Amino acid sequence: MATTIRRLTLSVGWLVVGLVAGLPLFGIVMGLWPTGSLSWPDITRFLTYNGLATSIVASVFLSLAAPLLALYVAFMVYSQYRFSRRWQALENRLAPLLSLPHLAVALGLVYLFSPSGMLWSVLYGIFGYGAPAWLGLPRKSLLTMVLAVSIKEVPFFLLIFSALGRQLAIKNWLLQGRALGYSDAASWWLLVFPAILKQSRLALLAAMAYTVSVLDVSLLIGPNIPQLYAVVLYHWQTGFSESDQAQAWLGNVVLLVMLAVLVGAIYLHEGLVLMRIHFNAVMANPLRIASVGRLFTLWLTAFSLLTVAILTTFVLWSVGWSSQGAPSLAKLSFSLWQEEWFFIQGPLLNSLGIGIFSSVLGVALSVLALELQHQRQRYLPDYIWLMAILLPQLSMVYGWQIAHTTLAAGYHSSWVVLAHLPFTFAYSYLVLRGPFQSVNRHYEVVAASFGYSYWQRWFKIRFVLLGPALLSALAIAFSVSVAQYISTLMIGAGRVVTITTEAVAIASGNEQQIIAVYMLVQAALPFIVFLIASLLAQRMRGSYHVAYH
Amino acid sequence: MIWPTFSITQRTYGRRCTGYFVVIASLLLLMAGSACANQVTQQQAEQGLQWQQTLVSAKGATVYFYAWGGSKPVNDYLRWASKELADRYQIRLRHVKVADISEAISRLTAEAGSQSAIDLLWVNGENFSYLKQQQLLLGQLWSHIPNTALLATDTLPLQHDFGVAMDEFEVPWGVGQFNVISNATLFKQSADTTPDALSTNNTISPSSLLAAAKRYPGKISYPRPPEFHGTTFLKQLLVALSANDQRLLHTATVDAQAELLPLLWNYLDQLHPLSWQQGRAFPSSNTEQLSLFQQQQLAMVVSFNPNQLVKDQQSARLAATSQRHYFAQGAITNSHNLAIPKGAQSPDAAKVVINFLLSEYAQQQKLTSSWGDPTVIKPLVDDAATLPAQQELHSSWQQVIEVSWQQRYGA
Amino acid sequence: MLRITDCHIYNTKWRIDLPDIALAPGELLVLTGPSGMGKSTFLHWLLGDIIRHATISGDISLNNIAVNGLNIEQRRIGLLMQDVYLFPHLNVVDNICFALPKALADSNGKVLNKPQRQAAALAMLNNIDLGYVAKHYPEQLSGGERSRVGLVRALANQPQALLMDEPFASLDPSTSVQVSQWAFTQLRASGVPAIMVSHAISNLPSQAQHLELADYYRRV
Repeated sequence: MATTIRRLTLSVGWLVVGLVAGLPLFGIVMGLWPTGSLSWPDITRFLTYNGLATSIVASVFLSLAAPLLALYVAFMVYSQYRFSRRWQALENRLAPLLSLPHLAVALGLVYLFSPSGMLWSVLYGIFGYGAPAWLGLPRKSLLTMVLAVSIKEVPFFLLIFSALGRQLAIKNWLLQGRALGYSDAASWWLLVFPAILKQSRLALLAAMAYTVSVLDVSLLIGPNIPQLYAVVLYHWQTGFSESDQAQAWLGNVVLLVMLAVLVGAIYLHEGLVLMRIHFNAVMANPLRIASVGRLFTLWLTAFSLLTVAILTTFVLWSVGWSSQGAPSLAKLSFSLWQEEWFFIQGPLLNSLGIGIFSSVLGVALSVLALELQHQRQRYLPDYIWLMAILLPQLSMVYGWQIAHTTLAAGYHSSWVVLAHLPFTFAYSYLVLRGPFQSVNRHYEVVAASFGYSYWQRWFKIRFVLLGPALLSALAIAFSVSVAQYISTLMIGAGRVVTITTEAVAIASGNEQQIIAVYMLVQAALPFIVFLIASLLAQRMRGSYHVAYH
Repeated sequence: MIWPTFSITQRTYGRRCTGYFVVIASLLLLMAGSACANQVTQQQAEQGLQWQQTLVSAKGATVYFYAWGGSKPVNDYLRWASKELADRYQIRLRHVKVADISEAISRLTAEAGSQSAIDLLWVNGENFSYLKQQQLLLGQLWSHIPNTALLATDTLPLQHDFGVAMDEFEVPWGVGQFNVISNATLFKQSADTTPDALSTNNTISPSSLLAAAKRYPGKISYPRPPEFHGTTFLKQLLVALSANDQRLLHTATVDAQAELLPLLWNYLDQLHPLSWQQGRAFPSSNTEQLSLFQQQQLAMVVSFNPNQLVKDQQSARLAATSQRHYFAQGAITNSHNLAIPKGAQSPDAAKVVINFLLSEYAQQQKLTSSWGDPTVIKPLVDDAATLPAQQELHSSWQQVIEVSWQQRYGA
Repeated sequence: MLRITDCHIYNTKWRIDLPDIALAPGELLVLTGPSGMGKSTFLHWLLGDIIRHATISGDISLNNIAVNGLNIEQRRIGLLMQDVYLFPHLNVVDNICFALPKALADSNGKVLNKPQRQAAALAMLNNIDLGYVAKHYPEQLSGGERSRVGLVRALANQPQALLMDEPFASLDPSTSVQVSQWAFTQLRASGVPAIMVSHAISNLPSQAQHLELADYYRRV
């Protein structure tokens, strides 16, 4: 009897987890189900589209370069800060940039650093002659795109590392390394990096998938002769002529192939790097890259300055400041804030409600998925769980929309929560997998020897040890839910208005002042959640919590 | 509902009214209507039995209006309209803000004609032609909506949308006229130095544009085709360069393409090296171009709203010294329109909304508000306020230009 | 009384046929042998944990009750490893409270409440002059303190038997001697039969039984 109940519970668990993790695949099959027939001229026209190859190569390059750059920078920063007294300051200050939308960071960067941007204007004002144009950040280029995306992803990786670090005996490894005569920096690379790299694979995959399909940032700062692949595909997808639809279908197939190649490339990179580090370790040969680490002690200062500069820009924009004519304090006013605030409250509350429900459910489900795999002693490949992040979102949500309208299911907020669930699930799985697997089983063995049952051990030990990681997962899942545009609009059908459906629509108009108001409000929710999570996490002790004396 | 969904008007109305109440209310409404002066024709139309029934069944309904949400003036105007509609007809108008109207088209495709979440949408051009062809739109709008009688079909090209007959599947709402806004200096010299007789302070020509680009290299650009404004900019150039060749108004034959398009490409070959980023990048949209213009990275911006300059100067978004220009052959003119999906859940209320939006009151407000969108109705059409119009090119040229541009300059 | 009978440790290459073991309350058995011979595996088998690397058969009884069929939490056998795995999220007192039996009652048979449990834990710490670390978190303890707290915590659980896997090996030699002498005294006083795996057989109490696994090892 007991085993029957246990089996039944397990099956139900697998079913629930399988349904949520499988929704993306269902969506993509529905969304990309060929409706028309594909003719040979369609294929020829697709293949001869001018710049297609360049677009694809540029997008693939971008989607590998930006996340990897962010990963390496984040690791350097982590190694410089983890055991210094500035670590806590760093954890506190991650929240603002983590919560700013990508588009806001991109807008801020080009506004501040493009050749005719604020920084050079101010320098011109002070010194009387301008910097050469090549020194500024190009307004639209692959370089700008790589920089903007990687700058934005560094805090994300730091958050992942921070959750991981509490479960890994990094300090002991470093100690061993140094005892064996390696420098601190070499020990970080030879001993810590392999573990960190393996555990952040999911985060890399997520950042990669985001980069390959991001549209708003690509339109603003991406190169457009030729355009990035996401933009090309978007034009096909939003054109409704038969030829456009055929192109869009082929384009999506190519996107799937690109994603598969990119996933392969991330695994390949991991394998090559681990091989290289392994080789160096065997040859007792410290990596040369180790010596530039010191430079990254400056990161927190630079990062804080940048965040403050971007936020200041947005606050100034929001009160009507512009580079139009001479700036004067008299023209500034909070009237737009007052005017919009009435209309913002409702969407803000909707975002909050949907965010709380979908993030809590998403985290609970990913813990369930991990526990089920833990009990089976076998973990399924990562990409299965990350499909919501990896698969092309527009086609996937379109598939859900077809199913949703076929069911004639109404436009209730709970449908929007359900549509957010695959995303919050995937992101919290991504944050939690490493820490969950790294929990040292001996704690539970010891607790068992004291007479605690499986579930008592689970809640009193595993769950508590995972506390900081759970908080990070909740915060990330919440911010992911808040940031959902396509799924909210397509499933909520305009009945469920969130701060993001408003903000994204408004951002399409490029009106500085009102964009600034909405982006600041949009960033406020995740900011509060990230801040609370980081403050709470600091009060918790992980397995390898290190107090600095 | 788990938590209250936001209501724009923050009002609630009883859904089920008693018949008694309905009668009283519609009588009151009619009295309110007759109180307005200068609305005799409108009144007659509204008194039609059918329309009365429409008004009654529209009461208390919610209209989900899918419309681009990127413009604060437009959003503000729709907020005003919501309030008016709530007061006058007890209809809740919800502006569903979308970043691109294709999101609505994609929803209608997914719904495949069944019950729709959309009651009303703001549409034109290719999107309309697709929806019409897929039979996803409600027909006979002009016959059912009284105020369509006010449409200035004599003076404005309001029967066709980019060469496709509207056939009562959509109703014009406003007019776009292609114009160029520049800073004070960009075109200043051209009036004095170029021999082009047509060039005055207001009109521009390909040659005056090229001259300006030579004087201010890197300050000129246009939205990257296939963005709608960018393509129209190319169309205007083509009309001017071909000296208004009539073949542009008909299907783009292979011969016509071979003869006319090289004029445009030769011109762009000269213009691009002098434009923003030496033509290696273009703004993604006219709104991005506007923000680059505001940041003084560009000296010009294209617009489809002939009143944008004045309105943006009033709100201090554009410098007082900025100027409006149009191509000497006339500004390409087209309408932007309203349509109701076949599966709309409140089609009657949507018709009432369209009827209201076409009323003199609402059209006047649209013109005088910060939006400043030109009117489409006879009582308000004023020749002085509009630019000389150039007929829209035959729709086949649109794709020809976009595809060839991509082949020549897209990579 | 801990009794192990008819015990065999084996894999495809070798097997060890252990003599029967009987430990009275307070008695200590020291298990030595070359590494790789399954000493730790044997302890985990006794504990009821999942074992790898070798197969073990045999009967275990505690106070004449067979425990083979029971899982870890039902056996009430304590385990002390080299790292004693103090729970990082609990301070020292709460770590001990975690181990105190749930039904722990005062002299009147009333189950203790939270402050009383904490007081009991503190009393145990004070007994061994470790009261000063009561509010410390594990990461703040020295190696010696950690081992001693680990043992106090294990005994606080009132186990039927205690298994120790080289518990003092990581300490520096002088501390190791000191702590192990102290531990043996504690074990004898608490009357818990114990089995300890060790590398060194020096510094052991004279009463301890000793079993060298290599003596019973043979290749298959």
